[in-house]
Amino acid sequence: MPPVIRATDLVKDYGDLRAVDSVSLDVEEGALFGLLGPNGSGKTTMIKMLTGQVKPTAGSAAVLGIDAVADPVLVRRMIGIIPEQETPPSFLSAMEYLAFVGAVRNIPDCEGKADWWFDFLDFADKKDVLCKDLSRGTRQKLMFAQAFIHEPALALIDEPLINFDPVMQDLVKEYMAEYVQKGRTIFLSTHILEVAEEICSDIAILHKGKLLHFGPVAELIEQGEDLPSFFLSLVRKGDHA
Amino acid sequence: MLDLFLAMMKEEWRIHSTIFGSLSFALFPVMICGIAFMASFLIPIIQASLPPGYLTLITHGSYLMLGVMVGGFGLLGSEVMNRRFGQVSLLAYSARSLPIRETTIFLTFVVKDTVYYFLLWVLPFGFGYILASPFTGVPLLSALLLLTTLSLSFLFGLSGIFLLSSVYARSTTVFWLLLIILFTGIGGTVLVTAINPALFFPPLLIYNSPSVASFLLAVLILVLLFSIATLLFDPISPGSAKRYPNAFTPLSGRLSFLPDSPLVAKDLLDLFRSGSLIGQTIFSFILPLVVIWFFLSLLEGFLPPQGLIFLVAITTGIIASTMYTWVTMFDTFGPYACLPIDVSTIIAGKLTTCGILQMIPAIFIATVAILSGDVIYLIPSVVLSLSVSFYATAVMVWLSGLSPNVLVYDVKVLAAYLFLVGIAIALLTAAGYSNPDYAYLAVLLAIPSWCFIRRGRAWWNASEPEGF
Ligand SMILES: Nc1ncnc2c1ncn2[C@@H]1O[C@H](COP(=O)(O)OP(=O)(O)O)[C@@H](O)[C@H]1O
Ligand SMILES: [Mg+2]
Repeated sequence: MPPVIRATDLVKDYGDLRAVDSVSLDVEEGALFGLLGPNGSGKTTMIKMLTGQVKPTAGSAAVLGIDAVADPVLVRRMIGIIPEQETPPSFLSAMEYLAFVGAVRNIPDCEGKADWWFDFLDFADKKDVLCKDLSRGTRQKLMFAQAFIHEPALALIDEPLINFDPVMQDLVKEYMAEYVQKGRTIFLSTHILEVAEEICSDIAILHKGKLLHFGPVAELIEQGEDLPSFFLSLVRKGDHA
Repeated sequence: MLDLFLAMMKEEWRIHSTIFGSLSFALFPVMICGIAFMASFLIPIIQASLPPGYLTLITHGSYLMLGVMVGGFGLLGSEVMNRRFGQVSLLAYSARSLPIRETTIFLTFVVKDTVYYFLLWVLPFGFGYILASPFTGVPLLSALLLLTTLSLSFLFGLSGIFLLSSVYARSTTVFWLLLIILFTGIGGTVLVTAINPALFFPPLLIYNSPSVASFLLAVLILVLLFSIATLLFDPISPGSAKRYPNAFTPLSGRLSFLPDSPLVAKDLLDLFRSGSLIGQTIFSFILPLVVIWFFLSLLEGFLPPQGLIFLVAITTGIIASTMYTWVTMFDTFGPYACLPIDVSTIIAGKLTTCGILQMIPAIFIATVAILSGDVIYLIPSVVLSLSVSFYATAVMVWLSGLSPNVLVYDVKVLAAYLFLVGIAIALLTAAGYSNPDYAYLAVLLAIPSWCFIRRGRAWWNASEPEGF
């Protein structure tokens, strides 16, 4: 069984800045993989390279066995994505946005599925409101729905929880935990360590573009480490290096 | 207000100069100046074939049109301000987080835009003419006078349209009433006095008999227009809780015979609901064209019978090609980034939307042909108009991908655009003037257009889509 995601020596430079520095990692099928790191550590850039939104300066990325550099559109067809900024097109209503996604992705009975999501994330009262008039939290719900509406084998989601209240966070965490039980894979970035510790099966820690740690969460717990203090000590060591 | 103004100017400079380097951007006014300098030497040649005064009339008309095209500030909502340069969070948009009234921010924005166009277009052009004056034998004083009156023309166009667009944003009924009064007024004057009404245009009056009093009067009128427009301007409307039942699915279904129908349906809904389809059509299309038609029609006696309508048709085509900027202006890459769509497909979708919008220039030029008694030239005029529009759009796609609004300020890009479009227009005008049937040759433009679009799509697809 080849890994669902295989990144090999990925590098991304923005001018003089090396945002991602030679990162290699594998994500296995069924994982709920957490990419952790402080602000500016390169998490979003990693996700953008893996989803073919930016081209790596060096290295390669295979997603579901497809080369993300050579065929980014096919990769995006197979997966679901929540981008860092929640910007659905402004003059479509929430329902129309999901219908738009459905039309682009050829999802059968998209409106029925959309209705399920409106109920599940509790924003059915907003489905006919234009996206530009939605609150940030509601937009985040919409973006969550569009990433999962076609039930992709793999979803890459960037900070999916930051705009949610605790009740909604709980609901969504449970959804993700169940999602991977069915053999599908989620790759999420976050800087909320408690979330990662609670639901992730594997984690990677990025700092200043470098991969500092990579492995199953269970391993850490066996060693008697708790994630927040492990993370902080790693990042502080990295700062002094 | 001054601080805010300076911050906005700096931001504008930074946005433009980071996109294509400060040098390339700083060269823009230099190039405009150079074009004016060289054009000055053509004046004696053109003047020889026209009665005295007509060239100044046309020049003032062009500046009036430039002002008209820039001045639709009344239509600016927060959406447009926010998106004018992609996802960059403009100062103008930060109204809610700064302790400043939105009207103040808006006014600063208007003044900034005016100054900006002035520095980039109006001044360099006049300056080129002044530079050439020792060589062309035009006295310096009259060159300075021309610069003044051309600036006034620009400002008249700008503040007039600012006023009209503010009225339009408040009440469309009042807007139409105002237009009807304006046109019957002008029409009535023509009937009663049999004098060309363009001669009553204040900047022209000043040019023909300069006096301090009339200059001050013109400035007073401008201040008046500007103040009323500002008072009428409705600060950015807050988000509404209005409900829209799903119109996307039926529209996309009805358009399913088109390629990329979901993208087209989305763009059309964006245009309709933002109010920009009708607003832009009136303020960025019909009004400027009516102004230029009016000024061109003064040339009628000096052109072949098909000359005027063909000239208007070509101008309509050029302005119709700017519809490509309407459909890219309101969009960011964000909504597409998480979908299986590449830049090439988005460009194709935008082009299809533009194709649908070409109904507007087709109807417009057909109406002009009928109204001006040139019905026999109706079909060649429509062909001319649409071919030129398609070609100019294709050049724009090739040169600037999905960011035509921003890239038009890059010297290299603008020079290439003017060159490619200029050649086509010159050839078509010459052909159409020698024989009206040759206007059909315009369809040949489809060949280079198709190549430009093909190459443009491949090129922009390969470059990183960020920041559009
Ligand atoms: N388009 C860009 N141009 C220049 N620098 C960028 C760009 N995108 C990100 N960066 C820089 O790359 C680094 C990593 O950013 P990012 O991947 O967004 O980190 P994270 O998501 O972990 O906060 C930051 O220093 C950021 O400023
Ligand atoms: Mg990030």
